[in-house]
Amino acid sequence: MSALIASNIHKAFGDHEVLKGVSLDVARGEVVTLIGASGSGKSTFLRCLNLLEMPQQGELAIGTHQFAFGRGVRPAGDAQLALLRRSVGMVFQHFNLFPHMSVLRNITEGPVQVKGMAQAEADALGRDLLAKVGLADKADAFPSRLSGGQKQRVAIARALAMKPEVMLFDEPTSALDPELVGEVLAVIRSLASEGMTMVLVTHEMTFAADVSTRVGFMNDGIMAEIGTPEETIRQPRSERLKSFLSRFHETH
Amino acid sequence: MYVWEFAALKPYWGLIWQGLLVTVFYTVTTVAAGLVIGLIVGILRTTAPRWIAVPLRLYIEIFRCTPLLVQLVWMYYALPVLIGVDMSPAMACFIALSLYAGSFYAEIFRGGIEAVDVGQWEAGRAIGMRRGKIFRRIVLPQATQVMIPSFINQTIMQLKNTSLVSVVAVGDLLYQGSVITAASYRPLEVYTTIAVLYFVVLFPLTLVADRVELRMGAHR
Repeated sequence: MSALIASNIHKAFGDHEVLKGVSLDVARGEVVTLIGASGSGKSTFLRCLNLLEMPQQGELAIGTHQFAFGRGVRPAGDAQLALLRRSVGMVFQHFNLFPHMSVLRNITEGPVQVKGMAQAEADALGRDLLAKVGLADKADAFPSRLSGGQKQRVAIARALAMKPEVMLFDEPTSALDPELVGEVLAVIRSLASEGMTMVLVTHEMTFAADVSTRVGFMNDGIMAEIGTPEETIRQPRSERLKSFLSRFHETH
Repeated sequence: MYVWEFAALKPYWGLIWQGLLVTVFYTVTTVAAGLVIGLIVGILRTTAPRWIAVPLRLYIEIFRCTPLLVQLVWMYYALPVLIGVDMSPAMACFIALSLYAGSFYAEIFRGGIEAVDVGQWEAGRAIGMRRGKIFRRIVLPQATQVMIPSFINQTIMQLKNTSLVSVVAVGDLLYQGSVITAASYRPLEVYTTIAVLYFVVLFPLTLVADRVELRMGAHR
């Protein structure tokens, strides 16, 4: 059963066509990783999945939420978008924690303000999630006191607090010092083992091979290849993917 | 050597006190009105379509690029003729000072709002918050922090600027000073006292500002 279906997504910024008809069908419990050179459109595509970027053409279905884009289709309103995003969590490269709120408040903001949960109940939920990402003792700290890895784990907890059906990760470890990457990947790995449906954009190739059910290679605005990690990473078919992977192994 | 004779001011303390109250009153009311104007105009400037944003820009530039003294005199002498309404000096001063403050506050608000990283908006949207709520709960509190130093500066200027209302015979601290000078022939004592009073009111305000800034930035 599909948790997410994106069909024929097109997106251009001005004259620059970033996505030229990308489709992806993610089954419930699947972990799909998108790889590709910078500028290949993988982050833009990910941002189209919770409509932080609005596609110009195509369709998107997540759970009971359905959207169509294109000429003559009325664009979705703020309220409709907000409803979709309740069930799609997103983790950003640069964390984007709310600096004026404590760690716990960062996590409870969504449940309290969006879902109308009582603060006490949200606090309990927040503490559970903090324990889960290994930061139980940081509830009252402010984000500025945390390391990058800790910030990203809080950001994951904040997204999980909305109890999303799908989690999106946009290069979650790219802004981290190398020694902090592991702690974030460990949290993502444990989510995967719990059966969370996830779409990741990452440059951590070993991790991708290890945790993904499928790996997609994006190139020049299209999904050039997609298959099991074995197929995509170990037996690439296209020259483009082969050269991307070999360049990648040289530099990493 | 000039012999200071502050005792000569004794009969006039009541007037000075009155003047000080008028100055404080104008500061408080026009800062409040200016903040409301500034917040609305500042927000609209960042979010509204061009046909609203452009006239607002015009308003801001007109009030920033003409002297406040000219605005006061114009409001008092010219505006009543143009719109055919009799306006008291007090009213003309209130309007001019509020619009003047509003134009500066609007730019401070706009700058503060625009200084907040777009990632903050995106993080709010990503957890399903709607525009208004993101603005109120995520963006505005952070913008306020950035704005505080400029905001305090502008408010201090506003208090000092109220001294211009004496030109149209509104009885503020400076106006009472000139009245007392005329009666007592003691300009040095009078204007020194008045300068000290402005200082005494404003200096603590700057100290409060420092503390607020420190506390609000404590988690940074």
